Amino acid sequence: METFAQSLTSGLLTGALYAMIGIGLTVVFGVMRIINLAHGEMVMLGMFGAFWGQALWKLDPFLSLLLWVPVMFVGGMLVYRLLLRKIIPGGELNTLLYTAGLSLLIANLALFAWTGDYRTINLSYGQEPVRPFGISIAVPLAVAFVVALAITASLWLFLSRTDLGRAIRATSQNGEAAILMGVDVERVAMITFGLGTALAGAAGVLLAPSLYLYPTVGELLIVKCFVIVVLGGLGSVPGAIAGGLLLGVVESLGAVYVSSTYKDGIGFVLFLIVLLYRPSGLFGVGK
Amino acid sequence: MRTLAASLLALLTLLSSTPALAQPIKIGAPQPMTGPDAPFGDKFKKAYGMAIEEINAAGGVNGRKLEIVIEDHQAKNALAATVAEKLITQEKVLVMTGGRASGQAMEIASVSQRLKTPYLVDHPSADMVTSKGFEWVFRNNPTGSIYPAAFNDFIANFPGAMPKSAAVVYDNTLFGKTIGAAVMKQLKAKGVPIVADEAYPVNTLDFKPIMTKVKGTNPDYLLLVAVSTTDAILLTRHAKEIGIRPRAYVGFGGGFGVADMASQLGPLAQNVFSSAAWSGNPNDPKVKAFYEKFHKQFGIWPHEHEVEGYSAIYIIADALKRSKLTGNLDADRDEIRKALLATDMTTVFGKVKFGNWTGPLGDTYTNQNIYSPEHSVMAQWKDGQLLNVWPRSNAETTLTFPDPLAMK
Amino acid sequence: MNRRLAPWLAGAIALAVLPALAPNSFFLHVAILILMWTLLGAAWNVLGGFAGQVSFGHAALFGIGAYVTMILYLKAGLAPWWGIPVGGLAAALVSLPIGLVCFRLRGPYFSLATLAVAEIVKLVALNWETVTNGPVGFLITGLPPVSLFGASVDWESKLPFYAVAALLALAGLASTAWLRSSRLGAYLVAIRENEDAAEAVGIDTVRAKVLTLALSAFLAGMGGGFYAFYFRYIDPDAVLNISLSMEMVFIAMVGGLGTVGGPLVGAIFLTVVGESVRERFQVGHLIFYGLFMMLAIRYMPEGIWGRAQRLASRFLPKVPGHGAA
Repeated sequence: METFAQSLTSGLLTGALYAMIGIGLTVVFGVMRIINLAHGEMVMLGMFGAFWGQALWKLDPFLSLLLWVPVMFVGGMLVYRLLLRKIIPGGELNTLLYTAGLSLLIANLALFAWTGDYRTINLSYGQEPVRPFGISIAVPLAVAFVVALAITASLWLFLSRTDLGRAIRATSQNGEAAILMGVDVERVAMITFGLGTALAGAAGVLLAPSLYLYPTVGELLIVKCFVIVVLGGLGSVPGAIAGGLLLGVVESLGAVYVSSTYKDGIGFVLFLIVLLYRPSGLFGVGK
Repeated sequence: MRTLAASLLALLTLLSSTPALAQPIKIGAPQPMTGPDAPFGDKFKKAYGMAIEEINAAGGVNGRKLEIVIEDHQAKNALAATVAEKLITQEKVLVMTGGRASGQAMEIASVSQRLKTPYLVDHPSADMVTSKGFEWVFRNNPTGSIYPAAFNDFIANFPGAMPKSAAVVYDNTLFGKTIGAAVMKQLKAKGVPIVADEAYPVNTLDFKPIMTKVKGTNPDYLLLVAVSTTDAILLTRHAKEIGIRPRAYVGFGGGFGVADMASQLGPLAQNVFSSAAWSGNPNDPKVKAFYEKFHKQFGIWPHEHEVEGYSAIYIIADALKRSKLTGNLDADRDEIRKALLATDMTTVFGKVKFGNWTGPLGDTYTNQNIYSPEHSVMAQWKDGQLLNVWPRSNAETTLTFPDPLAMK
Repeated sequence: MNRRLAPWLAGAIALAVLPALAPNSFFLHVAILILMWTLLGAAWNVLGGFAGQVSFGHAALFGIGAYVTMILYLKAGLAPWWGIPVGGLAAALVSLPIGLVCFRLRGPYFSLATLAVAEIVKLVALNWETVTNGPVGFLITGLPPVSLFGASVDWESKLPFYAVAALLALAGLASTAWLRSSRLGAYLVAIRENEDAAEAVGIDTVRAKVLTLALSAFLAGMGGGFYAFYFRYIDPDAVLNISLSMEMVFIAMVGGLGTVGGPLVGAIFLTVVGESVRERFQVGHLIFYGLFMMLAIRYMPEGIWGRAQRLASRFLPKVPGHGAA
C-alpha cells in the first residue's frame, strides 16, 4: 500500500509539472492552430534562466519567476512578430517545419554558448525531503507544485474574467467569428504566443531545481508535452492539466507495476490510442 | 667555381626541404568536440596536449616530434566512421586513438581494421571492440565486464561483506547492460539472490517509481549502474529520498566518481562506493605528479578520461620509439602494430601489456591489456572526497562498511 | 535525344566517371554519403513533398531496413546486396499497418503520430534483445567473397559501395520521377492541395496514401540496409534516432519539396555544409541546419532546386509537355 501511495504521489507531482509545460503549447494551438515544435527549447531557456539567476545573482529560482516570466512573454511576442507572422499564411506544414528549424537553432545555439555540461540547481532547503504520512516528497518539487497551482489559477482567472482573456478564448473557439465581433485577432495571436512562451519559461523555472539542465533537454520534454496535450485535447487548458496528471501517474505506476524499461512506451501507446479513437482528446476543442 | 656554387645550391636545396623522416609523427584522435558529449572531448584534448608537449619538450620520439590531430565526430557513429576515414586516408596518420563512446569506437575500430592502421583504444569500454578478433585494435583500459572486478574481490575477501541479497539497477545502454550482466553473473555464481533487476531508459527524469519498487524488495546491497552522470546523481538521490537503506550503496560508472556527486548530494553521498576503471593509486609519486601538473595547467582535477588519454599517448610514443619508420605509410603502420604487440611498460594509468585472453563474460579478447582486472578499483565518498578503499594496496583510507545508516 | 532522358543520362555518366576523378578514398566516402542521403531525401520527399504528409518518424523505416538486412546477413547468410531490397520490402510491409493507423489523422496530428510510432519502434529495438541484440547492436566483420565479371570484388575499396549507393540513389530519383508522371502522382497532388475535395471527386485517398507510404518506406528501408552494409555497425541509437528523421526532412525541404532533383541538391548541400562547418568553425553543424531550414521556408519554400528551376524556366525555351524536373 505504501508503494502505491508513494508511486501515486510521485506521479501526481511530476505530472503537474509536465502539465505546466503542456499548458503553454495548448494555449498557442487553441488560438493559432499551430504546434510550436520549439516549445521544449523555451522550457529549456526558462530552466537556464533559473540557473543563471542563481549562479550569477544568487536569486532563488522561485523568485526569479518574477523576472523570467515577463522576459519570456516579451520574447515570445517578438518571435511571433518578427519570425512567425510571415510564415503562418504559408500553411500548417510550413509553420510546423519552421518551428522545427527554430527548435534546432535555439537548442544548438544554447549548446554552443553554454556547452553540453549538465548543470543542477542546489537549494539549501531542498536537501532533505519531507515525509508526510511516510511518503517521501522532495521539497523543491512540492514548492513547484504549489506555485504551478497558483499560476494555473491565475491563468484561469485571466482567461475567464478579463476582456483580453475572453478575446483569446473567443479567437480560440472561432477565429472568424471573433474577427466579426471586433477582436483584433493579430494582436491576440501575438499576445497568446507571448503567453505560451511565458508559461513554458515558467514551467522551466519550476522544473529546474528538481531536474538537471542541459541545452538539448527540450527534445525529451517536447515529446512528453505532445502526449499530454493530445491526451487532454489540443487547445484545452483543463485538458493539458488532466493529461499531465494522467501521464505522470500512468508512467509512475507503470514503472513500478509493469516494467521500468517500457514505461516511456506506455505513454506513447496511450497517445496513439487517444489519437485514433478520440482525437479531440478528453476536453478537446476539435481540429 | 661554378660547380662549387651549383653543388652548394644543390646541398642547400636538399637541406631546406624537410625529408619525410624529419616531419612530425601524426596521431589521429576522433573525439566529440561539439554536441552534448563535448565536455568529454575537451578532457581528452587537454590530456593529449599535455602528454605531447612533455614528449616533444624532451626531444620527441627518435628525434621526431609528435602531433595530435583531433577531429570532431559529435558522438555520432556514422560521423566517427567518416572522420576515421579522413584521418587515415587524407591526414595519413600513423596511428589512431580516442573514440570516447563505444558506438563510435566500434566504427573507428572497423575502419582501422580495414584500412590497416593501428588503433589504441583509450576509454571506450564495450567488450565488443576488442572481442571481434581485430588484430589492428588495441585497448589499454578495462572493458565494461571487468569494471566490477574490485567489487567482486571486496565481497569475497572483506569479512562479512558477502551480500545477503542484491538489487541491481542499470541503464538500458551497452554500458549499463554489460556491467549489470557482469555483476549479476558474479553474484549468482556466489549464490547471492538478485531481488531486483531493473533496467531504466537513460536520462530518466524521475527514479522515484523504480526506487519505490526496489525498496519493497528490501535489498542488502543496492548496486547502481549509470553511463550518464546525471542519472548517477539522480539515482542516488531518489534512492536515498525514498529511504532505501542497504548495507552498501555501490555505483558503477564514471558519474559516481565526479566532484558533482559530492556537491549535488552533500551528505547523501557519504559512504557511497564508486567502482570505476581507475581512481589512481595515490601512493604512486608519478600519479601525484600528474595530478598536480594537470591541475596547475588547466585548473581542474583530472579523472579517468584525462589519465586514459595521457597514458595512451605515452603508450603510442613507447611503441613509436621501438619502430623503424621508413616513410612508407603501410610499412610504418605495420611496424607500429608489431611494436604495440611487444609493449610492456607502466604508465600513469597502470601496467600495460597486450594479450589475447578470455573475459569474465566469456568474450575472447584480442590485444586487450592483460592487467585490466587490476585497474578496477573501489573508492568511497567520505566527507565530500572520493578516496580509494579497495584493494588495500591502493587504499587511501579505511573502508566504512556496513553503512551506518543501514536498516538493522 | 529525348529531352527528358538527357539529364538522367548525363547523371549516370557523371556518376560513372566520378571515381576516376576522385583524389582519394575519403572523397569517395563523402560521395557515398551524399548518394545515401539523396536516396533518403527522395524517400521522404515521396510522402512529404508529393503527398503532403509530413512524417517525423522516417527513421523507423530506415532502422527496420537496417536491422532486417543486418540480421539476414549475420544469422541467415543472405548477402547484403540481396538483403538491401529485402530490408526495403520489410520496411514497406511494416509501413502498411503504420499507415492504416496514422493516416486516419490529418496534418499535425499525423506528424505527431509518426513521431510516437518511431519512438515505439526504437523502444522495441532497445528491448527485444533476442531479435535485435538490444543496445549492443550488430557488427559486420567480413563481407562474402564474390566475383563480378571474373574479377573478385575488393571490399576494402570504396568502389563496390559507391556503385551500390549510386544505383540506389538513381532508383530513388527514378521512382520519384515515375510517381510524378503516374496517375497515383496526380491523385497525390489532389490530396495535397485539398484532401476533402479529392475524396469528394472519388479518389480513394487512404489507398493512395498507403501506397505512397509503402514506396517511401521501401526507399528508406533500402537506405537503412545500405547503411548496415557500408558502416558495418548498427545499434538502436545509430539507426532509429529522431535526428535521422529530421535530417531527411531537411534535405527534402531545402532541396525542393515535390521535385525530382531536390533530394540530390539537398543532399549535396547538407553534406558539404556539414563537413565544412565541422572543420572550419568547430561549431555544431546543426545550428546551420536549423537556420537554413528557417531561411528556406521563409524565402525559398520551393527549395534550392525548385527556385533554380523557376529561374531556369525564364531563360530556357518552352518545350510543350516538358514538366519541371
